[in-house]
Amino acid sequence: MTVAAGRLGRALLGSYFAALVVFLYVPLVVLVVFSFDDSTIQTLPYSGFTTHWFRSAFSNGDLISAIERSAVIGALCALGATLLGLTTAVGLTARKLALRGVVTALVLLPLVVPYVVLAVGMLILLNSLGLHQALWAVLLGHVAVAVPYSILIILPRLRTLDEDIVDAARDLGASGFVAFRRITLPLIVPALFSSALIAFTISFDEFAIASFLVPAGKETYPVYVYAGARTPALEPQIIAIGAVVIVASLVIVTAAEALRLRAERRLTQA
Amino acid sequence: MTAADVSAPAAARRMQLRAGRGWLALPTTGFLVAVLIVPLVLIGLYSVDLMTNLVGVPTGFSVANWSEFLPPGDNVFFNRFETSILITLLVSVLAVLGAYPIAYFLAFVARRRRYTLLMLVLAPFFTSYLLRVIAWKVVLDNNGVVNSALWQLGLRHHGDGISWLIYSWFSVALVLFYSWVPFVALPIYVVLENLDTRLLEAAQDLGGGRLHVFRRITLPLSLPGVIAAFVFVLIPTTGEFIAPLLVGGPGSYMFGNSIQSFFSETPNWNYGAVLAVWLIAIVLVLLVLFGRFLSAGFKEARA
Repeated sequence: MTVAAGRLGRALLGSYFAALVVFLYVPLVVLVVFSFDDSTIQTLPYSGFTTHWFRSAFSNGDLISAIERSAVIGALCALGATLLGLTTAVGLTARKLALRGVVTALVLLPLVVPYVVLAVGMLILLNSLGLHQALWAVLLGHVAVAVPYSILIILPRLRTLDEDIVDAARDLGASGFVAFRRITLPLIVPALFSSALIAFTISFDEFAIASFLVPAGKETYPVYVYAGARTPALEPQIIAIGAVVIVASLVIVTAAEALRLRAERRLTQA
Repeated sequence: MTAADVSAPAAARRMQLRAGRGWLALPTTGFLVAVLIVPLVLIGLYSVDLMTNLVGVPTGFSVANWSEFLPPGDNVFFNRFETSILITLLVSVLAVLGAYPIAYFLAFVARRRRYTLLMLVLAPFFTSYLLRVIAWKVVLDNNGVVNSALWQLGLRHHGDGISWLIYSWFSVALVLFYSWVPFVALPIYVVLENLDTRLLEAAQDLGGGRLHVFRRITLPLSLPGVIAAFVFVLIPTTGEFIAPLLVGGPGSYMFGNSIQSFFSETPNWNYGAVLAVWLIAIVLVLLVLFGRFLSAGFKEARA
C-alpha cells in the first residue's frame, strides 16, 4: 500500500520493526547463553561452556518439588477456570439474564483489580476465618484471575456458532444437554483448549498472588525462582531452569497458535 | 446471523430454548463474590479499623490511618504513590509510542507475512514475566552484560559500572516498557487493520501528502486503539511490585511495594489496607475515565 508509507517510510518502519524484535529477544538469548556459562557470576568474558547448571537444577529437590506443585496447581486452575468460563459464557448467551450488566462487570473485574490488592484481600480473608496460608488458597486466587480470560476466549466462539444446528438437534428430539454435548461442545473444543492453556500459563507463572499465599516450605515454582534469583549460590540454577522454561514456552505458544489456527480454519470450512 | 434472516416463529422458538440458561453464570458469580468481593470489603473494613489482625487490639471505627496518609501533610507513602503514578504514566505513554510504528508496519507494510510477524512480536509476552525480569537483571547488573561488555571494549574502567543502569527508576521503567510493548501493539494493530483504506486513498487523491493523511485521517481514526492500549498498560502497572523488587531498589520502589511490605513485613495490616483501598479507588477512577475506550477496544477486537 503506497498511501500508508512511501519508500523511505517503509524502510524506516521495517528497520524499527527489526530493531524492536532484537530488543525483545536479546534478554531471552542472554539468559539462554548464560545458562551454559561456567561461572557463578553472569559477566563477560564468557568463562566457558558447561551443562553443569542444568544437571544441578534438575537434581535440586526443592526446585523440582516447587515445579511439581506449580504443575498441579496450574492443571487444576486450567480445569477450574475453563469449567467456570464455559458455564459463564453459556449463561451469558441466555436471552434473559437478570442483572446482566452486574454479572458481566463482576466476571471481568479480576482483569482490573491489581494482583497485590487481590492477594492481600485473600490473606485478610484467610486470617478472618482463622486459616493459614495454603496452596488451595493460591489455586483459588489463580482461578479467579484466569476466569475472565477463559470467558473472553470461549464467549466469542459460542457467539459465532450457528445456533440453527443446535435447534435442529433439539427438533430431532435431543435434550438441551445432549444437544450441547453432541453439537456445541465439539465445535468449541479449540476455544476450550486455548482457555485451558492460557489458564495453566497464568497460574504456572503467577508470582504476585502466590507470594502472599504460599505456606512456608511449600513454595510454588515462581516463588522459588524469585527467591533463587536473589541468592547468588542458586542464581545459575535459576537461569538454567529459566532458559529451559523460556525456550519450551516459546515452542509451545508457537505450536499451539499454529494448531488452533488450523483447527479453527477446518471448523469454519466444514 | 441476525434476527432478520430467520422466520419469526423459528426465532421465537429459538428464543424460548435459549431463555433458561442464565443460571449457568451463577457458580462463577458466587465464586468471585467469595474470593474477590468479600476480600475487598474486608480490606475496606481494615482501612477504617473496624477489623484488625492484631490479637487483643480493640476495633472501632476510626479514620486515623486515612488522615495520616492523605494530604495535606508530608506522608512518605503518598509521595511514593505520586512518583509511582508518574512512572506508570510515563511507561504507558512510551509503550504506546513504541508500539504504534510496530502496529502500523504490520497493518500497512508487512502484507502477507503479517500474522507470522505479529506472533514473533507477541511470543515473548507469553513467556514468564518473572523470567524476563530476571533476564534483564543479568543484562543490566553491576557486573552484567552491558557493563562487562563496556569493560571488555575498553570504553570504561574495569569494575566501574554505569550507576543508573540497575536498581534505579531507569531499570524499572525499561523492564516495564519491555514487558508491555509487544502486547500494546495488538489493540493498535487491530484498529489499523480494520481501517477503511479507501479513506486514505481519497485523502491522497484530494492532494494530501502522506504525513498530512496520517495526521488528519489515520491517527484520529486509530485513537480508540491507542487509548485502549494506553489503559492496558496503565491499569496493571499501578499495582506493580515485582520489577522494582528485582531490578529496582528502595529508592525506586513503587506504590505496590509499599502495600506488599505492609502485609508481608509488618503486622500493620490496617495501614496497608488504607493503601490498598486507595489503589483500588485510583483504578476505579481510571476505569471511569477510560472504560468506554476499553469496551470499544474489545468490540474492535471481536469484529
